[in-house]
Amino acid sequence: MGTLYVTQTDAFIGKVDERLTVKAEQKTIMDIPLIKIEGIVVLGRATISPAVVNELLERHICLTFLTQNGRYLGRLEPEATKNIFVRKAQWQAVGESEPAIHLVRGFVRGKLKNYRHSLLRTQREHPDTDLNNNITRLENAIAPIEKTSSIDSLRGLEGAGSAAYFGCFQQLIKTPEFKFEARKRRPPTDPVNALLSFGYSLLRHDVQSALNIVGFDPYLGYLHVERYGRPSLALDLMEEFRPLIVDAVVLSLINKRSLTLTDFTTEPLSGAVSLTKEGLHTFLRTYQQKKLSSFKHPVMGNKCTYQESFEIQARLLSKYLMNEIDKYPPLVLK
Amino acid sequence: MNQTEYISIAALNQYAYCPHRCWRMFCAGEFTDNQYTIEGTTLHDRVHTTSDVQRGETWQVRAIWLKSEQYKLIGKSDLIEAEDGQIYPVEYKRGRKGEWDNDELQVCAQALCLEEMTGQPVNTGYIYYAHSHQRQLVEINAELRQSAIATIESVTNLLETGAMPKPVYSKRCQGCSLYSQCLPKATDKVKSYQEVN
Ligand code: SF4
Repeated sequence: MGTLYVTQTDAFIGKVDERLTVKAEQKTIMDIPLIKIEGIVVLGRATISPAVVNELLERHICLTFLTQNGRYLGRLEPEATKNIFVRKAQWQAVGESEPAIHLVRGFVRGKLKNYRHSLLRTQREHPDTDLNNNITRLENAIAPIEKTSSIDSLRGLEGAGSAAYFGCFQQLIKTPEFKFEARKRRPPTDPVNALLSFGYSLLRHDVQSALNIVGFDPYLGYLHVERYGRPSLALDLMEEFRPLIVDAVVLSLINKRSLTLTDFTTEPLSGAVSLTKEGLHTFLRTYQQKKLSSFKHPVMGNKCTYQESFEIQARLLSKYLMNEIDKYPPLVLK
Repeated sequence: MNQTEYISIAALNQYAYCPHRCWRMFCAGEFTDNQYTIEGTTLHDRVHTTSDVQRGETWQVRAIWLKSEQYKLIGKSDLIEAEDGQIYPVEYKRGRKGEWDNDELQVCAQALCLEEMTGQPVNTGYIYYAHSHQRQLVEINAELRQSAIATIESVTNLLETGAMPKPVYSKRCQGCSLYSQCLPKATDKVKSYQEVN
């Protein structure tokens, strides 16, 4: 089952025996055994019974609150595992340490290589698109990574690579109704940016949950600077997954015309764009499907779902920090 | 009396199975119930109802705490019996006799506690296998004692230092409930991994 998304405004989340029920307007709209739930994301407003809160904490199920538009609000975080050793290793590596630099290289390299593969694939599948320029720019950002040992310079390469990728993102979109100019957030004022931002919020819930299970403190990262209340490590580990999951879902929804402009609404004044209820459901369904689709893990060699790969990568991260493995292999897929 | 100074008899068993597993369970506090451990627990739940009965010539007491000051051991016994004045522990196990002799270690540790608690030598013990309903005699001989004491020392050291023994992939990993946390093959796999360009 995986993650439960509650989209109905003013829903009531309750518990009957070992089952979770979601009620709205006096009707039960969902009734799922708790054992099948790995995480819950509430979009908008919901009432949650104290019994459910208890049960979620006991069962180590994370609950994330997003606004209706997908902006992150906060979460109910169950106690991390008692594995203090993971957190100790995580803290020991903070700053410009050898392992921190190695990990930042990994996160940046993973993300940029995955960007590159997605551009190369588009290039192959659509010979009429010319992405060479941007691919070269990406390669120029990837090449120096291994020789760069200041975290700030690595952030610079990440920025340059992302700019090269988003600089041609428009060409990955194959329907004329959708336009993409540049990455815009807070609030996203066009449908494509709205979808990307929304997807990254969902991804963040998933990655942060995996880090929590493994015993990390998600608020201490290496690529992303510490800032109060910012789950830096979750943002770090998210990097390699962004293109693989969110960008892929967004592009496929748009290019297959599963979403059209009628699935979006624009707020007056702020111009913030968000999905309609139907659009939201389509998006969530596709995102969920993507997470449950499987592939061969390039390092471990076995089949796993993207959902499982969040935890595998978090475990590899902890193994690297605890000196069990000599390098952190970001998830890079062709 | 500080209970944390004592080591759990169950930890010896885990250590003998795999030091890394013992570390995960008793140092890192990770515990995942899988089918085996759940079945094991239910069996234990049944055995662990304190009772004290006289059956023929055999005196039996179930589910009592055993403790040794000398070895700083503590653990709950499944069953203690006495016959002709000879007292001995009986440990219940799910399934049949395993390939690993860690159960004997556990019985030996119980015997060490019993000796200290009663002042009498304990030279035998039993493992009862639920699957075959059979008791297997465990001889508490010098060799077993020595290996139990060595394991106690290793576990004490492990708990005191918290130093993680590296996971090593072996046949035992296949039945291990911590496999997906431990990923014992990762070290080798990462070594030989070549990231695509
Ligand atoms: S998977 Fe293998 S190495 Fe890891 S804890 Fe279990 S038995 Fe030990």
